[in-house]
Amino acid sequence: MAQFKQWALEYVLSDDEPAQLEITKKAAKEIESSRASSTVVGNWAASVQQWMTPASADDDKMEDDDGGGSGDIIARAKALGFLAGTLEALDKSVLRSDQVLRLIGFFGAMFSYDHKAGITASAKALRQLYSMKNFKPNMGIKILDDVCKIKEDFRLQVAVTRLEIYELFLGLIQDPAVSSELKHKYGSSCGFVVDLLQVCQNERDPRNLMVWFKILALLIKDYDPSTEVTEELFKVFSAYFPISLRSSATPIGITADDLKEAVRGCFSAHHRVADLAFPFLIQKLDQGDAVTVAVKLDILKTIQACIEQYENPQANIVPHVEKIWNSLKYEVRNGEVKETIDATLDVLRTIARKLDGTKTYKLDVSLLKSYVDLVSRDCRDDLANPTYTKQAGLLLMTVISANIRAYVLYNASFIDTIRQNLRQPKSPSHTRDLLLLLNSLLKTRMELFRDRQQGHSDDEDSLRTESRAHLDTLFHDVYLPVWTDKIKGPVSEEKDVLKQVIQGLALLVSQQVLQPDGSAVLLCSGSVCSDICSLLISTITKGLTLSSNDNATEDTAVEDEAVLGLRTIVMNYTKGYSELASRVKAEIKSRDWANPSGYSLDALKDLLSRFTFIGCSEIPSNIATDTPRQFSPLQHFITLTASLLELFPLSPYCESTRGDEGASANSHVISSLHASIIWFRDACEAKYGKKALALDPSGSQDWLDEFKRLPEDWLLQIQRDVGAAGSALALQGDDPEVYRQFLKLGLFVVRSLYRSASAGARGPWDETALVQLSQMAALVVGRLDETLQVSCNLAYEAFNFFRDTTGLLLQTPSDLLNGLLTLGILQGLWPGAMAGLYNPGGFAERFTSGTPSFNTSRESDIRAAIGAILANKFKSGPSTPAQEVEVLKRVLDFWGDWLKKETADPSPADSTTFRAHCTTALNVIAGAAARQEPHVLTLIPALHQAASTPTPNGEILAASLGLIIKQNPLLTTENHAIVRRFHKQWAYAHLAKPLLQSAQPGSPGSDPLAATRCRVAVLSIVANCPFTVYQDDLAPLIRLLVTALGHRAGLSDETAWSQTVAALEVLVEVLGSEPEALTGHLRAVIGGATGVYQECAAAQKKGVVRTLCRRLALQVLGAVPGRFEERHVRAYAPPTQRVLAVACGDPVRRVREVARAARGSWAKVVV
Amino acid sequence: MERDLENANPTILNVSQLPSRQRKGPATRHGPDSKCDSIVFPQHHWPFGSSSSSDEGDDDGEDPVDAQDIYDLISTISDPEHPHTLGQLSVVRLPDIHLDPSPAVLPDPDSLITVLVELTPTINHCSLATVIGLAVRCRLEQTLPPNYRVDVRMKVGSHAQDDQVNKQLGDKERVAAALENDTLQRMVDKMLETCA
Repeated sequence: MAQFKQWALEYVLSDDEPAQLEITKKAAKEIESSRASSTVVGNWAASVQQWMTPASADDDKMEDDDGGGSGDIIARAKALGFLAGTLEALDKSVLRSDQVLRLIGFFGAMFSYDHKAGITASAKALRQLYSMKNFKPNMGIKILDDVCKIKEDFRLQVAVTRLEIYELFLGLIQDPAVSSELKHKYGSSCGFVVDLLQVCQNERDPRNLMVWFKILALLIKDYDPSTEVTEELFKVFSAYFPISLRSSATPIGITADDLKEAVRGCFSAHHRVADLAFPFLIQKLDQGDAVTVAVKLDILKTIQACIEQYENPQANIVPHVEKIWNSLKYEVRNGEVKETIDATLDVLRTIARKLDGTKTYKLDVSLLKSYVDLVSRDCRDDLANPTYTKQAGLLLMTVISANIRAYVLYNASFIDTIRQNLRQPKSPSHTRDLLLLLNSLLKTRMELFRDRQQGHSDDEDSLRTESRAHLDTLFHDVYLPVWTDKIKGPVSEEKDVLKQVIQGLALLVSQQVLQPDGSAVLLCSGSVCSDICSLLISTITKGLTLSSNDNATEDTAVEDEAVLGLRTIVMNYTKGYSELASRVKAEIKSRDWANPSGYSLDALKDLLSRFTFIGCSEIPSNIATDTPRQFSPLQHFITLTASLLELFPLSPYCESTRGDEGASANSHVISSLHASIIWFRDACEAKYGKKALALDPSGSQDWLDEFKRLPEDWLLQIQRDVGAAGSALALQGDDPEVYRQFLKLGLFVVRSLYRSASAGARGPWDETALVQLSQMAALVVGRLDETLQVSCNLAYEAFNFFRDTTGLLLQTPSDLLNGLLTLGILQGLWPGAMAGLYNPGGFAERFTSGTPSFNTSRESDIRAAIGAILANKFKSGPSTPAQEVEVLKRVLDFWGDWLKKETADPSPADSTTFRAHCTTALNVIAGAAARQEPHVLTLIPALHQAASTPTPNGEILAASLGLIIKQNPLLTTENHAIVRRFHKQWAYAHLAKPLLQSAQPGSPGSDPLAATRCRVAVLSIVANCPFTVYQDDLAPLIRLLVTALGHRAGLSDETAWSQTVAALEVLVEVLGSEPEALTGHLRAVIGGATGVYQECAAAQKKGVVRTLCRRLALQVLGAVPGRFEERHVRAYAPPTQRVLAVACGDPVRRVREVARAARGSWAKVVV
Repeated sequence: MERDLENANPTILNVSQLPSRQRKGPATRHGPDSKCDSIVFPQHHWPFGSSSSSDEGDDDGEDPVDAQDIYDLISTISDPEHPHTLGQLSVVRLPDIHLDPSPAVLPDPDSLITVLVELTPTINHCSLATVIGLAVRCRLEQTLPPNYRVDVRMKVGSHAQDDQVNKQLGDKERVAAALENDTLQRMVDKMLETCA
């Protein structure tokens, strides 16, 4: 006893929660250890006696006694808290049921006597007692009775206490045992509910309301209250509707939406409130402008929830449908807010779905019929009125498309009404709206058809037996007349109509119907599909058939829509693509492509591009037409590639009339083949997922060997018998094997073209076509995995070009054609597949070392690219033969020696040749540096020495050193190159950093010219590095930058300006990343940039480099004011502003834009 | 700004309807099939070596200031009462911008050029015409080089008191004095906020 008293006292005196918790735990342990002997429990309960007595004995006096009373109240509350806390810590099975009952009596009494101090602790204690093992359901009734005695004093309790009581109520009410006891005792009169409502009805705290609404919903749903009680309950929660939440500075984790959701839960809890809820909600909605959008949405969502949740629609929903409809239709007909229109349509759709029945049980059809009739009656006339066509259609569409039954019953008459209105349209936009409706109806049909098996089995039956006459005639009756009417020189509004027609046609062809045997076939007959295709095909071939004068319009909206339409059509009506292919081929072949006009070439390009897109951007689906046919997901791809290969070459010679940059007809065909690979790859990735395609191992198959046994026109052959039994291409659309077969076909195409291109004279192969072929080969080869590349021996084919002969293998680097072909394959190979190339004296060595003569700079570009790849994709490891490692070392040494030798020549003959070979050398080194080849380090002293040699070649080398570190598109992981993550840091540290000191101007003992060269080399490298690489060396670097802006002496014009560009680029970078490093150099930077601008602007010689210099100089100037405190820049403002004002008149537009921005930022500097 | 709008319902052009430079050249088609055009029909077909880096060269050709440039500078100024730009409201129109002599035919880059901009207020008694004129003038003076002289006027017949407005806008001292006025200066700054 004394112990408990002591603990109680400690608890009451303590303000520290952990300490209090400790005390309660001790008390609980004590009770547990005595196995809840009556004495111990009695002692424990009596331990708070000293605080209880005065309160209960003289409560009235307490209330009057403000001074002494409040202390007692707090102490008493704490004492009760001690008991509640102990109960919380106590093992739930320890107390016997009589003890529980007694304690319930004790704490329950508090609700009658001690409203000031006892409630919080008692509520907590009662909740604990409720969770005791020996709690009996009848005790729940007692708790409810006791607690309700608090009456109106309930609202005087703090929110947390009230929450405690709500939680207690909720626990009791949703407890099945207590609930059945309550039902047994009170029956439907639910006497306790009335008490409860009296106690709780004025709640306003959001957290408490959430629990209260839950209690109300449970009472309605589970307690079967009488009509009067239901009304009372309804009154309580409907009084909160529409609920909102004032924004508070201290968020409580409950949003207005949570509250709305909770009130909605009360409305939709049970259909016994249907007769109250619907009239109430509709009356709220009909208040007109007084209702805000948010409230309207709340009402609509609540109506929807009620419709969805209420059972027995016939009794509970049908009586209210007309009222709901009459109130809601204006929300759509005259509504302007999208959200409310959508929510209204959702309600209407929900009604239609509810009246149809469920997946397992269909309601009587008359319910749905009378609802749809009601809607049709009101909307049908509106279809003839252009102002309301869209809205009326939307309403009709919503109810008709809600389920298959409504659709089958009403779509024919709806289409008929649309058809009648289309005969006498009031305006083009009226026609457009009507067509839009028709199209949505067709779209809905597709969706319903697709989901037909998810609903009731009757649905599928009704689809099978639906009448189709009205759909069959749509093309000839509706779409074709509109098309013919509008196609003659359409203006913009009519173009919208035409676009709708095209969309409609695409949807029409995609419609499927069920055969009596349950299989799906296309709705339209082959001839209709074919007519539709031919209509759209004429639209897209128009560009080629018309002359440039007749087809001057730049707006291609209708053609683009036709392209999309055809794509959808050939997905389903696969024969359509063959029709397209024949037309395209015929149109193109009927023209002479020897010397085409620019217009014809553009038309050809557009046509081929569209032809490719239609066939390859989606994988076709397997739907039967009226004639049985074979199917392959690859058939369009095959048709396309076969057609394009058949078309190539369009002209037997490469055209030279349009100059190097102009693409030729032949190159357009190759470009389209390239595009087809890209499109189909993307389609596969979209359908199967990138991962699924990458993970699928292909095993070692030698496709090339298979190809050797196939005829040259293999593609044409398989195009003819696609999917024939036993064919490897008879696949289903959802099989990822499609992707591998696609790659195989792609490789076949590449092989054919390579053989054609390498067959001898250049013939039809112009440069653009070759570049495209090379990139296409890289794409196809790059997609094969390493095993397949090895088993097909593609590394060998990079030099053999898939020729059957073995003797004529390419031995040495040759002209542009061979170079491009080699590069294409090498670019796509995995390092592991290139192992065979690094034998001593093998391809890698021959192609990367040596300085053969070349005819054009393009040839040396290709050589450099091949060099970079070969030097990079060398997979060295412990098992790599030593002689292969030696090969690459030899190659690197060769270039090191060559550079040293060539730069030593004081008067070289030809700088162009040196520059070209130097580029190759640096690319080879770059390839090796990307994988951090250690042997590169041995070259560096030679490179440094060569770059600082005072010869013209030395200068060229110094200015080109950046190539080693420059971003090279061939050296990327997409091209399977070996790129170490920190190779730039590595290269910078070894290549540029050692030069920083010797590059400084006026460093003691150094040759000024050598210093200049070193500066050029450093800047060339740094300009190609990301900022973080050289971040640590900013101080010495900035001195170089500043020097570079002002000193161009001792350098050739080209090197001098490229050095300036590099310096400005780095400055822009530094200004963006760490401007404070420049604070001490502002005068030099601003002066330097201004000087560069003025010098470039005044120069007689204009050019890209000088323009770039001007732009970058202005960019540097513009970046300064925003990045430094005004006191640092103020002094420079007037002269800079003058320069910038003049720069705003620069002859180059882009420079002017930068100048204006810079001028704007300097204008903010207050002088 | 709780006041009645002078012209509550002006005609507003869509941004795509405004004159712009892009649509003057040969249009690049952007159809559904154009996704891989940059790869298969690239502008510069040679992707290797040093020539590939000059992809920015196209915009770097010499292209002296023309009426479209001036239009681009001032058409993005906001109207003082509507949330639209002067271009959208057709207050500024491309045919009403004149450069004399045209910089394209001028041999010396430093010779004087006069820019004449004629404004068309949305209604002919617009009291904000002077403010709009002032903003246009400010914008041009802030962005054109010093050898350009700016002349902003109301188009003949477009404003009931065009003489007076033109006189105000043409008088340097009055313009300078107007910009001394804090309220006016703030208003002009607000209008110029939407200029890039």
